[in-house]
Amino acid sequence: MTAGSQQAAGQLPIAEPSHLRRAALELICRDARAFAGLIALNALAVGAGLAGPWLLGRIIDAVKAGGGATAVDRFTLAIVGCAAVQLVLTRYARLVGDRFGERTSARVRERFVDRVLALPVSVVERAGTGDVTTRGSTDVASVAVTLRDIGPDVLIAVVQALFILGAVFALDPLFGACAVVGLSGIYFAGRWYLRRARRAYLAEGAANSVLAELMATTASGARTIEAFGLQQRRISACQAAIERCRRTRMRTLFLRSVLLPSVDVSYVIPVVGVLLIGGVLHDHGAMSLGGVVASAMYLRQLSAPLDTILQRLEQLQSSSASFARVEGLGHAPQAPQAPQAPAGTDCAPADDRIELTGVRYAYDGGGDVLHGIDLSVKEGERLAIVGPSGAGKSTLSRLLAGIDAPRTGTVTVGGAPIRDLGPDLLRRQVVLITQEHHVFLGTVRDNLLIAAQTATDTELHAALAAVGAEWPDELPDGLDTELGAAGQRLDGSQAQQLALARVVLADPHTLILDEATALLDPSTARHTERALAAVLKGRTVIAIAHRLHTAHDADRIAVMEGGRITEHGTHDDLVTSDGAYAALWRSWHGERPS
Amino acid sequence: MVGLTLPPFVLSRAVDDGLEPGHAGELAGWCVVLLGVGVVNAWLAIMRHRTMTRVRLDAAFRTAQVVVAHATRLGAALPRRVEAGEVVTIGFGDAAVMANTLTITGPGVGAVVAYAVVAVFLLSVSWLLAVVVLLGVPLFALSVGPLLGRLQGVQMAYREQQGGLAARFGDIVGGLRVLGGLGGKQVYAERYRRDSQALQAQGYRVAAVTSWIGALGVGLPMLFLAVVTWLAARMAAQGAITVGELVAVYGYVAVLVVPVSFFVEGGSDLSRGLVAARRLLSFLALEPYAADPMAGADAPGPPSVLRDPVSGVEVAPGKLTALVSARPSQAAAVIDRLGRFTDTAATWGAVRLDSIALEQVRDRILVADSEAELFAGTLREVVAGRRERSKEALSWAVRAAMADDITLGLRDGLDSPVDAQGRNLSGGQRQRIRLVRALLADPEVLLATEPTSALDAHTEAAVAARLRAVREGRTTVVTSTSPLLLDQADVVYYLVDGEVVAAGSHQELLQGQPGYRRLVSRGAEGETDPDGPGQETRQAVR
Repeated sequence: MTAGSQQAAGQLPIAEPSHLRRAALELICRDARAFAGLIALNALAVGAGLAGPWLLGRIIDAVKAGGGATAVDRFTLAIVGCAAVQLVLTRYARLVGDRFGERTSARVRERFVDRVLALPVSVVERAGTGDVTTRGSTDVASVAVTLRDIGPDVLIAVVQALFILGAVFALDPLFGACAVVGLSGIYFAGRWYLRRARRAYLAEGAANSVLAELMATTASGARTIEAFGLQQRRISACQAAIERCRRTRMRTLFLRSVLLPSVDVSYVIPVVGVLLIGGVLHDHGAMSLGGVVASAMYLRQLSAPLDTILQRLEQLQSSSASFARVEGLGHAPQAPQAPQAPAGTDCAPADDRIELTGVRYAYDGGGDVLHGIDLSVKEGERLAIVGPSGAGKSTLSRLLAGIDAPRTGTVTVGGAPIRDLGPDLLRRQVVLITQEHHVFLGTVRDNLLIAAQTATDTELHAALAAVGAEWPDELPDGLDTELGAAGQRLDGSQAQQLALARVVLADPHTLILDEATALLDPSTARHTERALAAVLKGRTVIAIAHRLHTAHDADRIAVMEGGRITEHGTHDDLVTSDGAYAALWRSWHGERPS
Repeated sequence: MVGLTLPPFVLSRAVDDGLEPGHAGELAGWCVVLLGVGVVNAWLAIMRHRTMTRVRLDAAFRTAQVVVAHATRLGAALPRRVEAGEVVTIGFGDAAVMANTLTITGPGVGAVVAYAVVAVFLLSVSWLLAVVVLLGVPLFALSVGPLLGRLQGVQMAYREQQGGLAARFGDIVGGLRVLGGLGGKQVYAERYRRDSQALQAQGYRVAAVTSWIGALGVGLPMLFLAVVTWLAARMAAQGAITVGELVAVYGYVAVLVVPVSFFVEGGSDLSRGLVAARRLLSFLALEPYAADPMAGADAPGPPSVLRDPVSGVEVAPGKLTALVSARPSQAAAVIDRLGRFTDTAATWGAVRLDSIALEQVRDRILVADSEAELFAGTLREVVAGRRERSKEALSWAVRAAMADDITLGLRDGLDSPVDAQGRNLSGGQRQRIRLVRALLADPEVLLATEPTSALDAHTEAAVAARLRAVREGRTTVVTSTSPLLLDQADVVYYLVDGEVVAAGSHQELLQGQPGYRRLVSRGAEGETDPDGPGQETRQAVR
């Protein structure tokens, strides 16, 4: 695996706007009843709220007509009633909205996790787990806030604005037309803004991710910082990240600085228009004073919901960018699914033999790192692959494990391409063990059951014993001990043993060990290898060996250099032939060239 | 916010002076004023928004800086107490919430002033109306108080569950390769779903409270408006006030909705801000690990022996010392004590290590962990340390760690970007880059755990020889079980259960200590004869 070859390419996709609209619509449709209830309740609440200015108009007309206190009382009582009804309706409208938001955001995040789990490992590795993590935490949270708080707010505001406009039209279509013309400035300002906003908010999000990752690594690497005295460097790196954040925020602030004042001025224009036209109409007796005042009041009320919409537009923009990143995962390549055809067809491996024919591989856009590898591994054989760093050993192991597919040539197990096997089929054939291992949150048992969901405690203990792990018996709650940050912490070798125990439980016929024992205690490594050898007797083991004793124990050794197999044979053959392997073997014994 | 109170006044004049009597000129005049007030208000609003955004950014970024600075100050003590994810939540999420709370101040003052101005306007219309408004608005605002207390409770629980769910997600992403290779995806998807549903249920509880707060924020001012309108309308009916004044009263109270809902929302922001601030403060209250923070003794002069009485290891100055243990964690514990990363009784010369000023210890003794963090940046930045080093020193360190092929293989050499944790490098490359960093720092005392464990035998042999050469005359301690490295050491300590059982050269220990021989040359001898003499095996192989 050559550094630098994976940069730039391989990033996770971001959903297109059209796809985003479909996804949003689909989410609404899945909870259509709640959504309809949300709209209905809000409409009722807004309707109750709109009675105010209209009743005020009636009061004014009543006062002008000398209606006296009783007429006034009747109308004002209606206003009080409407306000009370509005309050209660608003509460339930919000409750329905919030619950809708909670439910929908749960749906979004659960689907996101399902999609993450469906991603092929190579896609995630190339994009970096940081990107997936940001999408799964920050972006999912941002979408949740939109659904819970911003979405309902905007929805209410839209309903309000439409009702108010409707009311003005009902009072006098001329006033309504005046309002629409006066407010058209908002449309142009909004369009100008929306065209630029998406990119600006995406840039803002990217800058945020950089800052967040910087904080995370500063925290996890705090010991290294103290040891190497990197405090000042970390702080200036943080300042640079903050500076980038600030620049992107200033850009979005500029966009708002153009939008918001244009909109504010647009609010006043219809009110002025209505007053002037109303003045003329009133003079000619075509319109009551109450009607004009009510229209002006309505139009003044219009600013509140439109303000809400515009204020929330900013958050809506940034969270729609988040939503695009969350939904984008739907477009990432999926891991091959288990073949639909029943067992016994072409897809299923015929036997356990592994064949590589003319295998070449290149990381995105780079030159080949494997130059035509031909290799055949028999059932039950133990093959060791040795060679200096950068020879392509790890790349080869990834092809053997079905993580990547060769550029040309084939990698097959029992005649079936490894890459095309579904995960369920694959893990019974080939399992790759690397230096990197992960201890899952949960109990020791949870960590083991991953590989064999129906295993009994006896089987779990047996698997642990097979890898020489005695520590689980010493834990306070045995297999039920919680692992992870809050619970029991495991050291590197314990974590490695746990990972190996999982493999024992998965029980594949072929095992690929990539530096697998590098982190084990030398004493337990020996133990583990023996135990594994016993458990996997009659199974194929392909070891990417860094330690020569692994090679020594193997049936056959392949020496790799520069992406090619340069030597090939048993330990004794290779030592006798006095090539590169023989030289390595001598240096392993600490023999200095005389 | 005071500007908001002007339009109702202008509007009332337009109605009274222009519209009602039918004076077209007056009406047009007031309309122009209304337009002008609108423009001024728009300008004021955007200036306010810009100021508030700047305040918010400033606060959020300052908090982020404080959090990062504190994280670096905590050093080795941090990972033991706080998860990295938690630090991000505090430095990022909580910082934003707190910054948001800060911006209450400006509009808050504005809200109070606007409220007073409305009261003055109302006084000029009717004292009764003024009294009702002055007393009524605060009463309504206060009535939301008890709900805010409950909100804080349910929100805290919501936040915790949200954090748990995020951790669950991080767990899935971290173990994706395992889940992909071994299965268990369904189980983990199911677990996530379960936690997600629990969070949803908690969200419903939050919604039950917030929906009331939201509804009261809108509804209470409306109710209040209705009551005031009723009073004013009766006065208008009795001729005590004009129709225009009635309109103005209605307008003023409608305008008051803004400051009042501001108080209500501000209260809820404040409660969220308090939760966030508390978490930040408890993070900032963490103290760096130090047995005796007042320790200020001076370190001894350069040729001083480092002693760890617990294990019996003595590090001779200027030599390459190796620690061999069947359990690497026990050798690493010795390193931690010699490097003062834990409670230690170690001495340096005649001085106890924990009585020396920490800064001096860190400056002269460098602990290089085998799994030390690699930070994102260019390769050049990744290997940079406490001091600026020359170009020559850098290429010298790169050569010493056998890392030339890494820099040559990268497109931009030393200026190529390296991802956080060296994710775009292989395990062996990461280890050599760590070694470059340690050698470049060129400390008086270098304590390195398993510096060559991820290297293949060929590379390891070369690194071991070069390490010895470049550290010539300086004090170096390594933990290892590799004969390639041990053969280079001046003194090898063989540890059993964390205590020295034998010391000497690699060859001496090979001959005198069967346990040692088994440990370091495993695989080199036939399994059937573990105690057989190593020399003979070697002869046979040759």
